Amino acid sequence: MSDAFLNPDHPSVVFACRGVRVFVKDGDTEKQIVRGVDLTVRRGEKHALMGPNGSGKSTLAAALMGHPSYRVEGDIWLNGERIDTLEPHERARRGLFLSFQYPVAVPGVTVANFLRASLAARRGTEIPVRAFRQELNAAFETMSIDPSFITRYLNDGFSGGEKKKLEILQMLLLKPAFSLLDETDSGLDIDALKIVSDGINLASGPDNGLLLVTHYQRILNHVQPDVVHVFMNGHLVRTGGMELVTALEERGYDWLAEEAAIPEGSRA
Amino acid sequence: MAETSTSVIASARPALDEALLKAVAATLGGDAAQVSRRLEALARYETAADPDRVRHLWRFTNPASLLPASVAGAAASGPVPAPAAPVAGASVTIDLWPGRAPAVQTAEDLPVGALTFTAADEPFPSGKALASDLFGALGDAAWNAGVGLKVADGAKLAGPIHVRIHASAAASLPRLRLEVGRNAEAMLVEQHIGGGPDVCVVGRTVISAADGARVRHAVVQVWEPGTSGHLAVETRAGADADILTVCGVFGGDDTKLELGTDLAGAGAHSEIIGVALVAGKQHADVHTSHRHLAAHTSSRIDYKAVAGQQARSTYTGLIRIEDRATHCEAYQENRNLLLSSRARADAIPELEIHNQEVSCSHGATIAPVDPEQLFYLGSRGLSPHESMGLVVRGFLENTLARLPDDARAMVESFTAPRLATIREGTA
Ligand SMILES: Nc1ncnc2c1ncn2[C@@H]1O[C@H](COP(=O)(O)OP(=O)(O)OP(=O)(O)O)[C@@H](O)[C@H]1O
Ligand SMILES: [Mg+2]
Repeated sequence: MSDAFLNPDHPSVVFACRGVRVFVKDGDTEKQIVRGVDLTVRRGEKHALMGPNGSGKSTLAAALMGHPSYRVEGDIWLNGERIDTLEPHERARRGLFLSFQYPVAVPGVTVANFLRASLAARRGTEIPVRAFRQELNAAFETMSIDPSFITRYLNDGFSGGEKKKLEILQMLLLKPAFSLLDETDSGLDIDALKIVSDGINLASGPDNGLLLVTHYQRILNHVQPDVVHVFMNGHLVRTGGMELVTALEERGYDWLAEEAAIPEGSRA
Repeated sequence: MAETSTSVIASARPALDEALLKAVAATLGGDAAQVSRRLEALARYETAADPDRVRHLWRFTNPASLLPASVAGAAASGPVPAPAAPVAGASVTIDLWPGRAPAVQTAEDLPVGALTFTAADEPFPSGKALASDLFGALGDAAWNAGVGLKVADGAKLAGPIHVRIHASAAASLPRLRLEVGRNAEAMLVEQHIGGGPDVCVVGRTVISAADGARVRHAVVQVWEPGTSGHLAVETRAGADADILTVCGVFGGDDTKLELGTDLAGAGAHSEIIGVALVAGKQHADVHTSHRHLAAHTSSRIDYKAVAGQQARSTYTGLIRIEDRATHCEAYQENRNLLLSSRARADAIPELEIHNQEVSCSHGATIAPVDPEQLFYLGSRGLSPHESMGLVVRGFLENTLARLPDDARAMVESFTAPRLATIREGTA
């Protein structure tokens, strides 16, 4: 189980954050979306994050990755190192990964060129073409993506499911220390959900960790998280195990809001 | 308003006179016919109307900034430049230096009679595709470097005609003339290099493609910073002629490139593929004009500009389809990518259609780089610099993909280094 009292830079901790608050510009003022999040993920752990629409899950994930349009307060550690002042690419090179809820298309840039560039960035060295091809073909096979996608433009005209599979393919290639997976299961058919879950499990090992944002129990049955968090109104309101997921499926979120004394108007 | 700008341009016109033009002709070894053509152009220059700044063609660029302060030195011949190696694979490599006769290096395998030389300034009997005659008349009168070439009927040159045009004088006035015979095939690469502070170029290229000719023409401008200039290309396509014009605008400060194509014969086809990459305080103005004068002619334009820092890109394009030119097709697309909040682009596509039996479309877009794309690429470890490079190359990709392999390789040999410098300081 996660241990909030463990030091964030303890060697057994792969990712931690303390007091994370996220603000967005709202006209002349600021709006706070995330209201103080503490998280400690140990090596080998898989955490799930569930919460109502609009509660701020994607905002939290993007802010942890370093999205430039948010103002973020709080401290973030990856592998014992503070990363909260780093730019997104510096966080990525140290092993942070974000699977986007809505992956962005980059027309004109082939999947192959993009992957080769990002692999080189992550590994700090160019990858010889042949070795890259072999690695790429293997990953495409693992994720059951047609090899013709290698020469297509990045996410350009991809279906929702194809985009999500490509996100996990990137996770497999980049071998992140810690992955933020934002609704990677949304919009997947039954077969694709299995492939994506298997990919996530394959990419997970005793040294890394992940936080999986989802609305559904199904992917959690595949991935078997060690810890489940419930996120409401910018807070982690409850932390537990898979039994929490069952309770949410049966009862929805309202009872947690009442317990956490969140005023009715702001239960998103 | 128009009157104010008129007087500004009038005072910016460099002075020309008969003695000067005779001296320029003498420097180049021009004959009496050349002298009289120059004097005719002088008369045109003196009566040429100022470019109309209210109309689109010149709305965004002040013509005065593209005129040399003086052409008094046009007749001066500089020191003999060191001969540069010929371009690999070219059938002919020609160096044009202001005030000097052209330096021609011919490949050994060039078939005898396939390519002959003509006067550089002999006009073609054709209408004029470009609106303002001020720059045309100035170039016709005072040109100080030039070459004329003729590709024989049915000839097919193995390699390109590669012309390196050096902007080495304060007033550099180059001109090219290419006549491609019936069913002949030729590629002309016009590479504008050199220049520097206070160098001004007024260049003029005229191309005539006879019936069934296939012409590929590349204009690549990589002037040094400080250069300003106006380049005009006028092309006339005969029946079933096929013209591909590739343009790359990379260098200089204030520059304008005008491409005017007359589709004069039935079935003629013209395609223009262009890219501009500008940064700093550069201002790249490109104008295209396609005049469909005959039936079953087709034209296509795909022009993309990338502007970083405080640079500015301007595109104006005119497609004009005459009433007798039925069953024509014309497409025009201009896309602009802004790499900084201070960069700017203007695009004005114009259609003038005088009959109903045509298929036309045009479009223009101006957009900044999408910050979400940069964040996505950043989240995969790519620095802002690398991400910007990928996005820009992606932006150009489908345009460059339209080029034949050799032309693409040539254009990319210029875009790659330009991209590297353009991405610096794009905030
Ligand atoms: N840049 C922004 N400007 C204004 N409001 C924003 C901005 N970014 C996010 N929000 C708001 O913050 C709230 C949280 O959005 P977020 O996308 O993080 O929710 P979520 O929990 O991921 O929801 P879902 O389950 O639907 O994906 C929403 O009300 C959203 O409109
Ligand atoms: Mg979300």
